[in-house]
Amino acid sequence: MGNAQSGPKITAQDRAVLDLKLQRDKVRQYQKRIQVVLDAEKRVALEALAQGRKDRALIALRRRKYQEQLLGKTDQQLETLEQLVSSVEFSLVQKDVMFGLQQGNTVLKEIHKEMSLEQVEKLMEDTAEAVAYQREIDEMLMSTMTVDEEEAVQRELAQLQAEQLRMPEVPSTVPVVPVTVGKLPEVPTTEPQEPETAREEEEPEGRVALEA
Amino acid sequence: MGLELAPVKVQSGFLLPSIHSWPAFFTYQPNPRTFSTQREHWTTLILTYARFARIWELKVGDVDDAASGGVWGEVLHNPRLKPPRTIGRKMLQILLEQLIEEERALPDPPKQSSSVILCWRTIPEWAGILHDWAVTTGQTNTILTLFEISNPQVPSDLSGMPEPLLRRAIALLQKTGKAQVIEGADGGGVRFFP
Repeated sequence: MGNAQSGPKITAQDRAVLDLKLQRDKVRQYQKRIQVVLDAEKRVALEALAQGRKDRALIALRRRKYQEQLLGKTDQQLETLEQLVSSVEFSLVQKDVMFGLQQGNTVLKEIHKEMSLEQVEKLMEDTAEAVAYQREIDEMLMSTMTVDEEEAVQRELAQLQAEQLRMPEVPSTVPVVPVTVGKLPEVPTTEPQEPETAREEEEPEGRVALEA
Repeated sequence: MGLELAPVKVQSGFLLPSIHSWPAFFTYQPNPRTFSTQREHWTTLILTYARFARIWELKVGDVDDAASGGVWGEVLHNPRLKPPRTIGRKMLQILLEQLIEEERALPDPPKQSSSVILCWRTIPEWAGILHDWAVTTGQTNTILTLFEISNPQVPSDLSGMPEPLLRRAIALLQKTGKAQVIEGADGGGVRFFP
């Protein structure tokens, strides 16, 4: 009783297949039996011939012929049965395949549900926006970064500073100090200040952009 | 005397152990310890021969035609001894009882001990072979009749296997959920699971 629970339930289909196969087995067994009779009849015929009884041998051979016909008929029946069995089994396999296809289909549908067209569109839009936005930033940075202009500005500033330093000639008490002070700024203003100022200008731009 | 005994190769190609050429081997040994050794030698010999010649059944009655070319003649009878010896019915009966007790034989029909099916492989071994066969021939999950297992179109290890033994092996597989028995109107069927 407890054993019957193991495995899938036995369906009417299963029983039909079993009965069909049992039928086929019966035909096979019947064929075996006929084969034995066939062999026996042949032996009888040979024995009868050896004893010189031709009529008996003939009877045996006739019976043998009849059995042979039977065997041929059962062969046909067996073939039909076997065909039926294999087509039933093949349809069962087909059923399994269909079940598999169905399951695959539902899984695919579920996955599709998760990635709806709208969501994909939105996602694609978002990415497009982000790309465009990035490009904007790049462009803006590039436009502000015109190095020549920057250099020109820097040069102007340096000039102004130099002029300013030349102006205070009135306090003649310490003349050495202004000279050294005037000489010193000329060296740093030309080269190192460029990148510094450039970076300083980059940062505020970025901040403004983010706020927008 | 023991030195004269040697294994004998019989007509079928089976190599009989040297003890088979010892006249006392064929008669009941009253000493319990001697008897237990004798019994063990006999049961082993019976099972190995059955496996060699693929004989499934052994009956006490096989003693009667052992001397006249019965299937068990090569084992139960020794014509090379003087006088020739045949195992006694009573002795064979004891051996069959012992085999049944060790689960190396199934009484067939049940509830007697003078006619048995020999399990020259143990039932768990047969269960394993059966399941392997179903898997390697791709016959899992389909319904098979017991007849087509023991009479396969393509000869296998299971060819000619008696139904009671087949059923016992299947019952064992059923316990582990590897087989399912289906009873039809006129015959049994089974479905194996991988």
